[in-house]
Parts: sequence; structure tokens; C-alpha cells
Amino acid sequence: MLAAFVDFRDVVPLPVGHWLASIQFTPSLVALLSGAGFGLACVLIALVSILFGRIYCSTLCPLGILQDIVIRLRRMLGRSRRSMRYTAPHTTMRNAILWVVILASLTGAGSAALVLLDPYSHFGRIASGIFRPLATIAANAGSDAVRALGGNGGFRYDVVWPSMAALVFPMVMLALVVGLAAWRGRLYCNTVCPVGTLLGWLAKRAAFRLRIDSQACEKCAACLRSCKAQCIDLKGGKIDFSRCVGCFDCLPSCEKGAIDFRWSWGGGASRKKEPALRGQVAVGSEGVCRRDFLVQSGKGMVALAGVSGFAGAALAVSHPAASRRVIRPGIAPPGARSMKRFLDRCTGCHLCVSACPTHVLQPALLEFGLLGFMKPHMNYPAAFCDFDCHRCGDVCPDGAIEPLDLASKHLTRIGEAQFRREECIVVRNGTDCAACSEHCPTKAVSTVPYGSNLRLRSEDTSLCIGCGACEYACPVKAITVSPLAIQGTARKATESRATLPTSSGDFPF
Amino acid sequence: MYTRRNFLKAGAVVTAGLSLVSLERLFATVSTTGGGGATGPVLAAVRDGSRREMVDAAINALGGMKAFVKPGQTVVVKPNIGWDVAPDLCANTHPDVVGRVVELCVAAGAKSVTVFDNSCDQWQRAYANSGIEEAATRAGATLVNGKDQSLYRETQIPAGVKLKSAKIHSAILDSDVIINVPVLKHHSGTVMTASMKNLMGVIWDRGFYHKNDLHQCIADFLTLRRPDLNILDAYSPMVRNGPRGRGADDLVVVKALLASPDIVAIDAAAAKLLDRQPTDIRHIALASAMGLGVMDLQKVDIRRIKMT
Repeated sequence: MLAAFVDFRDVVPLPVGHWLASIQFTPSLVALLSGAGFGLACVLIALVSILFGRIYCSTLCPLGILQDIVIRLRRMLGRSRRSMRYTAPHTTMRNAILWVVILASLTGAGSAALVLLDPYSHFGRIASGIFRPLATIAANAGSDAVRALGGNGGFRYDVVWPSMAALVFPMVMLALVVGLAAWRGRLYCNTVCPVGTLLGWLAKRAAFRLRIDSQACEKCAACLRSCKAQCIDLKGGKIDFSRCVGCFDCLPSCEKGAIDFRWSWGGGASRKKEPALRGQVAVGSEGVCRRDFLVQSGKGMVALAGVSGFAGAALAVSHPAASRRVIRPGIAPPGARSMKRFLDRCTGCHLCVSACPTHVLQPALLEFGLLGFMKPHMNYPAAFCDFDCHRCGDVCPDGAIEPLDLASKHLTRIGEAQFRREECIVVRNGTDCAACSEHCPTKAVSTVPYGSNLRLRSEDTSLCIGCGACEYACPVKAITVSPLAIQGTARKATESRATLPTSSGDFPF
Repeated sequence: MYTRRNFLKAGAVVTAGLSLVSLERLFATVSTTGGGGATGPVLAAVRDGSRREMVDAAINALGGMKAFVKPGQTVVVKPNIGWDVAPDLCANTHPDVVGRVVELCVAAGAKSVTVFDNSCDQWQRAYANSGIEEAATRAGATLVNGKDQSLYRETQIPAGVKLKSAKIHSAILDSDVIINVPVLKHHSGTVMTASMKNLMGVIWDRGFYHKNDLHQCIADFLTLRRPDLNILDAYSPMVRNGPRGRGADDLVVVKALLASPDIVAIDAAAAKLLDRQPTDIRHIALASAMGLGVMDLQKVDIRRIKMT
């Protein structure tokens, strides 16, 4: 997974990246709900959670695995082997956050909420925005070292950072997740993460659960040291399986074999403890929460809107170019089909941003409005869309960017170029340029004779697909591509075969 | 007595003879025009062979690659790798030409052969999909990134009229020998792109050229350093929709290849191949006026080779 996001040499096959992302819970759920894919993975993960607990959180979730690495490092560094005691669950907050996501989905802002909360998308942005450029720098240093020793170090690769403003959010999340993991293990997963909470609901009464055998247990607390989730209540002899991330590290840690993973439905062996546990949980999650979640979610919504609004305003003020960028409306990549469809589905995981060879796909700030925060937009004129490429659609796991074959991609209109003639070099300076038509892949832009032996841009907008090549190439930025709310189809150019210009024998000189 | 042994001996002698005298020498007719006599620049013009054969024939006509590359020298080969486009669409120099040129440099004893271009499309895709990365690497060249700004150095161009300084790729600044290997195409801005225009791919900021009299800047660059040899792939020139092209329909089959140490002479001849006058292309006229080469083909020692 990491490799697919960090892959600056484009060696990871696209289907691998797509597949790895598609088996993640959120993308597959989005694909299922939006009808873009089968979404089998989320159903399987839910089933596994009902049967065995939140194994997803320890085996597939990349943000979870990132935290496990932090937790392992912390243990290797030997810092405090005792502090991970049992703590009471933050049930209200957990549920409130999940309800925020659910309510947001019902009001059409679901994917915007997932941008802020989905663990896979968080990981994607961290890997794509931070780890990828760092890995490129390291590889370039390695290549330079080999060359310094006289070898052929291979290429040096472009180090591509997102804009500073777009980097803030993944940086903050990385600091938060790593910080929480180093402090209190999987606290993030059991407090903030809506996927953790949802799977926790399913896992709470899983068919197979971890149980403490109170007769065998000597309360040596070895299991507490192995537990990342602080969900083992040694005093009460219980394990809160809604918070257990399914790593099973506690099983080998217990020398007495007092923890076991056993069938717990119906006539489970520890039937007599069941009512107590159930009662407690019931009060915690249903009694309190049902009252609280509306209040909490309301608060949460207000807070989230406030935070993002503040972030947007701060960005607009802090970034000199931002004011212009904020005004400029975002352009969605080809295969998004319509702006609404795209914004409804994309969770901003940035797998497409990593896969984009020209780096024209960059995280949006407010180009798509608040609901489009962190979703990829075509960052003209810093780069343009490669004509023969549709990697973004090939990797997108939740159907926000549909895969297109190249023939359809060649005709997919995502925007339209507008030319300001009076700013053009040819008109202003009276010298040749034509950088725009040089780059135009469809020849929507060509040149016509102008003045004395000059050539001026000429347009056929029915051929324009809005790829941004002319805007990128224009040395004076006399061209701007504006977005189309609904992506259209360009006319296919037809031209007869060119004929030989010369008729003067073998050598016309 | 004519025995089987004699027959085999005779056959071996004939085979050896054929391998010594390459085929194009046997069948090609070389004719020269001595308009400028021995003092004018030399231009080899070849037609109707395969790309690789025509490279060999042209270089032979110019005295072999050893006339340009001395053992132990570092060489940079600069093809056109502008576009993420397949070889058969001829928007880039054909990989057969690049590969053969690199092979000849290696055979002449080059210490290293470097290949790069400051591509217009994404460089990794252009390098790979043009076929040049594979062909050049197989022939023994090292490809370097033309999009790595750290490899460019700001350099003064004192004799330039508009282009007074530019960031130039270190491979061009540091190599002993520069071999320019462009492809002949129509160009929507400069009418034609061949050898002179191809050298826009060795500087970092092409936008500066576009903003400050494109043709003059193209000519100005040559005042700093001219390639030691230019080899122009004109097998299937793109005659419209250039320089990127829209498809195979934009190409015509001419089966020609030109080679000359004189960059102005070779572009003047290239213009004729596209049915243009050299003076139609302003950078050719400017470079000629600045004394950077010979535009008047009457003064060029043209060695015409027609292969069959």
C-alpha cells in the first residue's frame, strides 16, 4: 500500500495500487453505496468483524499499521512498559463522530466528512504528500552517491511536494496520529476513527471474542503491556471487544493461558458473565448515546464547519497566491463525469495524486468549495494532463474517477480554454511564439498566418478537451482553462492523409 | 578442374569481400556538387535506405565517426524526445537513428555517451514511449534527466542579440563532442523544426525564447557553441499539425537523412525537403546573417547518396 503511494518511479503496476486501495473499508463502502463497484471488501470486512472482531484494523488498515510501527518503536526504545493501563472508553465521542459521518452522508456531505476522518484517506495523504517526496529525496541522494563513486546512479527524480497550504492538513494528522500512538497506543482508532467505531459496533458481540478466564488469571498484567488498545480491564476481568483491534498480541503474552479466543454466541462457556458485560455496554452505548449523539453530532458539525472555515480563511490570508487560487474554480480530472458526482464520491485519498505522472493532479484547498477540500484538482498552469494517460482513473478505488480507455479519454472534455488575444506575444511583440499550439494534442489550437511572416493562435473549441497544455505552455499566461460542470465529449478530428510536399526529384537541393 | 573445394573457396572470398565493402557502397551512387569546392561545408544527403543504413552511409560520406569522436572523448547525443508519443508517429527522433548514432560513437572510442532532452511532455513517459530510452541504453549510452534543474548551469552568451545568458544542461556544457540528432517536422510557430530548433531542448527556460523573439534566441544560442555534427531524421517528416502531430496521417514518407557539421546548411536543405525556401524560416536566415553557418546551398559540398 505504502509502495503504491510512494512509487515515484511508477514501477508499481496500476492494478496493484487500485486493488490494494479497493480492499480498504471506506473506498469499497463508497463504491458499494454509489453503485460504482461491487464493494465486496467492505461486506467481507463487516462479516469478519461480526465473527472475529476488528481484524481489519490490525491487518489491512494502513493508518492502523502505521500506528503499530510507532507503538513497536516506542517499545523498542524501552520507554515506559507500564503506562498502557485499561482506560474507560470514550464512547460518546466515538459515536458522535461516526454519527457525524452518517448524517453528513445523508445530507450529501459524506465524502467531505470522510476526507476529514477516513483512516485510509488520511494515510494516503500522508504517504503521498509527505513520505513520497522524502523517499524521492533519499533515492536521489543514493543515486548521487553511486555517481560520486563512479557508477551509473540512474535518474534523479523530481521531488514533488504539495503546496505548503495543502501540506498542513496531512502534517497535522501525521503528528496527531503518531503522537497519540506513542502516547496511548490505538487511542486514535478508538476515539476518532469512524471506521474503528463502526467495526467496533459490529465486533462488540462478535461470534468469537477474547475472554479472560478469571480462575486462571493471576493479574500479572503481562497482557496489559502487550495491548495497544487499552481495552483489557483486569480488575473487572473483561475485555472491551469493541475497542480490541484484533492484533492478538495478548494471547502469547499470557503465560497462564488465561486469555482465550472462543465462540461466544448463544451458550458460550462464560454465559454467566454475559449479563453484566451486556448491561454495562448497553448503558454505555445505547442509553447514554442515543440521547447524546444528536447533541454531540450537532456540536461536531458546527465544530467541523468552523475549523474548515477557519482553515480556509487562514489559507486565503497566509498564502499570497491563494487569493487568486481560491477564486479560480477547480477542474476535476477526466472520468469524474460531473462535478457533483466527483465531489460526492471522492474521499481525497490521493492515490491518483501519487499516480499522476505530470503532477497536474494536486489536492484542492477551496477550488471546489469547502466540500472539495483535499480532493484532487487539475493544477493548471503548473502542469498539464498527459494526453495518453489515464492513470488517475485506473487507480481510483471508489469510482470518483471512472477508468476510461484512451480513445474515450482523448475525447473527454473537462474544461475549455479561453484565449485573451490582446495579451498574446504574437500580437503584442510582433514575434513568433505558438507555444500553445505546439503543445495542443488535439489541434484544437493551431496557427494561422498573421502580419508579415508570423503565425497566430487559432482555435476550434469543439476539439478542445481542456487538458491545460496550452495554458501551461503560454509564456505570458494569456490562456485560462475553465471547468465544465458536466464533462462532455469533444469532436473527433478527421483529416485526409497528408501528401508529399516535394515533387522535385530525389534531392530538392 | 572445378571442384567443390574451389567452389567453397570462391564463395568464401566473395562473402568476405561483401562483408568488407558494405552493401550501400556496392549499390549506392555517390554524387557531389562542388559549388563551394573544398572550402565549403560538407552535407551528406541520403535517401531510400533504412534509418540505420542511412546513418551509416551519411557518416561514411563525412569521413566516418572517427572524424568527429576521438577515443576517450565524452559525447552528448541530443535527440528530439519532446513528446510522449510512439516512434511510428515521428514526433520524436526515431530510436533506430539514435541507437545507431550511439553505437557509432561507442565504436569510435567515446569514453561516455550521454542522451537527454528537456521534454515538453512528462519526461519519463517521453523517454520510455519514444523508444529512445531503450534503444540508446542498449547501444551503450547513459540517459540523464532533462527536467532536473540542478543539472543546468547559468551561462553567459556574450554574442547573443536577445539571449544574453541561459541555464544550459551540464551535459552540453561539459561534453567534448555534441551530436545533434533532430527529427524533421512542421512547426506551428517556426514553420519548421529541425537542427537549430532542436537545441531549444538543452536550455531550461524555453519560455524566455518565446517571450523574447523566438527565432533570434534560437540563432543566438549558436554563438555559444554549435554541435560538432548534426544528423537529421527525415524518414517520415510530419508535414502538418507539428510539432506534436495528431496522428500517422500527418506524416509523409520521404526516406531521407541528412548529416552535416554545419547546422545552418543542414537546416537549409531540410527546408527544401519540406518544399520551403531556407529564407522562409527566419532563424535560418538570422543564423546565416550572423555568420553561424552557410544557408546558400550552392556553396555547400553536398554528397548525395541514393540507396536502393
